[in-house]
Formats: sequence, C-alpha cells, structure tokens
Amino acid sequence: MKIQELIQNLGLKPLSRFEDRDISGVFISDMMSDAMANAKSGNLWITVQTHKSIIPAANLVDVAAVIITSGKTVPQDTVELADRHAIALLSTDQPTFDLIGKLYGLGIATS
Amino acid sequence: MKIEAIRDSLKASVLAREDLLGAEVEDIYASDLMSDVLAFGLPNSLLLTGLASQQSLISAHMAEFKAVVLLRGKRAKDGAERFATEHSMVLMSTRLDMYDACVRIHALRDGNGVQPKELGTTQAVDNILLQQKFQIEGNDFSKAGYVSTEVKSMLKKIGVDPVLIRSVAISCYEAEMNVFMHALRAKVDLTVTPRLIEVMLTDEGKGIPDVEQAMQEGFTTATDDQRALGFGSGLGLPNIKRNTDELQVTSEVGKGTTLVMRFFLQRPGS
Ligand SMILES: Nc1ncnc2c1ncn2[C@@H]1O[C@H](COP(=O)(O)OP(=O)(O)OP(=O)(O)O)[C@@H](O)[C@H]1O
Ligand SMILES: [Mg+2]
Repeated sequence: MKIQELIQNLGLKPLSRFEDRDISGVFISDMMSDAMANAKSGNLWITVQTHKSIIPAANLVDVAAVIITSGKTVPQDTVELADRHAIALLSTDQPTFDLIGKLYGLGIATS
Repeated sequence: MKIEAIRDSLKASVLAREDLLGAEVEDIYASDLMSDVLAFGLPNSLLLTGLASQQSLISAHMAEFKAVVLLRGKRAKDGAERFATEHSMVLMSTRLDMYDACVRIHALRDGNGVQPKELGTTQAVDNILLQQKFQIEGNDFSKAGYVSTEVKSMLKKIGVDPVLIRSVAISCYEAEMNVFMHALRAKVDLTVTPRLIEVMLTDEGKGIPDVEQAMQEGFTTATDDQRALGFGSGLGLPNIKRNTDELQVTSEVGKGTTLVMRFFLQRPGS
C-alpha cells in the first residue's frame, strides 16, 4: 500500500510535503533511540513524540512515513524540518492502540 | 478482557503477581512516554510499553493500571518487579513488538466484545486530618516516584475516593518528576482536612523564567537523555493543571519553584 492510499483509508491528516511511496511494515515506538535501532526502511513509524528530533531519525532510518497519534499538536519546527527532508508527517486524533486496530483491518503486516 | 486471556494471546511470561491474572482490564494503552500514560491512560487499563524501567511501573500505578506488559522480550529493570509485586500489578514480558501485541489484543477483543465498566464508587470521607512531610532528593533518580507512591497509599489508607486519589497521585508524580528533571531537591507537605487535600511542593533549583510558557502543552526544556526515559513531552504541568481544583505555581529564577495543588473533597450530602 502507498502513503496516499493509507491517508484516505484511515482519514489521516498530512502535515508535510512528501513523495508518495510504498509502505512495508509498521514500527511503533515513542523513544528515539529505539526507533533508530529497530525501525526498518519503508516502515510506517507510529509515535506520540512530536519533537523535531523525530525527523532526522525518520530520515536516517528511511521510514516511509511518520504518524503522530493521540491528536498531539506538532510543533512548527518539526513540520518545517519534515518539509525540508520530504518526510511524510501525518497525524491522527486516535491513540496508538486504536489506530493499530484499523491498520490491522487494512492488512498491513509488521516489518 | 481477562489479563490471563491477554497473556495467552501474547504468549507472555509473568514476572510478577501471577495470582492476579484472573482480573479484568477495561482498556489498553500503548506508549513509551510516561507523561502520556498519565495524561490519557484510563484506570484499570493494561500498559504496553517498551520501557522496562521502574518508571513505567510507577506511572502505571499512578494511573491506576492493573497490568504492564514489557515488549520485545525486555527484562524488567531496577526495582520494577518488586514495585509491581508490592502494588498489585501484573507484570509480564512478551517477545512481540508493540504492533504485533496491539494486533493480537484487537483480535482477542473483537472475539470477546469487552464491556467498559463503571469507575470506582465514591467513598465517604469525613473527619480526617492528616499532615505529612516528605523530602525529595533530586540527584537520586532511582528514587523518583517514591513520594507520590507514599502519598497515594496514605490517602488510600484513610479512605479517600479512588477517583480523587488518582488525580492527586498523577499531579504529585508529575511534580515530583519535575524536581528530578529540572530542579535539585524539594520539600513536600501533604495536608488533608475534611474539605480538601493540599500538596505543597517547594523546590530548590533553577526556577522557571516564564511560568505561563511552562504551563503550555508541549513546552519543554528536557534534554535528550531525559526524553530517552520517556519524559519530556511538555505535558507534566498541563497535566497537573487538569487534575487539580486549584493550582498555584510561583517561581524565582535561580532559587526555586513552589507548587500548591489543591483537590476538593466531596463530602456526603454536600
Ligand atoms: N520544578 C521545576 N524547576 C524548574 N523548571 C521547571 C520545573 N518544572 C517545570 N519546569 C520547566 O517547565 C517545563 C515544562 O514542564 P512540564 O512538566 O510541563 O514538561 P516536561 O517536564 O518538560 O516534560 P513532561 O511531559 O515529561 O512532564 C520544563 O521543561 C522546565 O523547563
Ligand atoms: Mg514534567
């Protein structure tokens, strides 16, 4: 599945400019060091962390997109950095656990 | 959902309080950020987290969770097992990651159809008077959360409404963590009268230059190390605000910060 399709299926809110690409697998963590260590290229990274340090991390591990859950307000500097690196930064009001219920319904498998 | 059923679906091993596996949880909360757990977690939930330190357990306890599952085969660190044992929480560990664990519990829940239960009933509180002083030494991070835990059990002992205890516990914990993260040490005064519970926390430390800004959701000066512990999402003070009936924050730069948190007790018939 591609990012745009996912956005439509789950009603996600895109916050940054990005190029559409394929998603392979999901990684959930709110700890930077954890994502750096364990997320894989092409993953969907789901987190409640909004600090701008998530963008370099996302860029480095080359995740397909970052989804911020629980309706967290994302700071402007995080969005700007995502724009600059063309990282797909998406948000949703749903908590992580609820969102996973939907993702699983769409048949996206884990990494 | 029965904790036991969740254990089975996650193929988790039980690290503490196997005797409580028969209990039910009403919701699942998946996060590594402890302020998030305190802000959004509902009582009687189960926490799925990758953070294996005692802080996870203390946060879960403050938020009235019944069980904690450590993900990706994490072993319990510090005093996590002992804390879970002492505070009646089931502690488990699974090899699954957060995504797979969420998926399995969803599958389990879809099969069972869980019914949310009513929150705990209000207990009468009358003629109580309690006064207690505590000391927080900010340099010993392994002790973070002890004062809040103590306050919580004292209030429980005198029969304060569990819903109110939760608000007090969450507020105390956030305030206490702020001493560890942002100040040096603090004195805590707990006072309970028939009318209210008051917690006054006076710290020595750098102080807050702009209190109004600090109160805003998301504002933080936390370091990367602190974030790695799952704190530093700038939710602590807003969380305290939400949980108190009255809150005063006064601060002097270079000296310290004082928090006065008041919680009104509801007396029967009032
Ligand atoms: N006792 C304190 N002494 C000095 N500064 C403080 C104190 N408490 C809070 N602050 C300042 O206010 C900011 C916001 O505090 P708040 O508790 O809301 O968030 P946080 O501690 O940064 O993150 P968390 O979401 O984990 O609580 C802190 O980052 C810090 O700069
Ligand atoms: Mg804080």
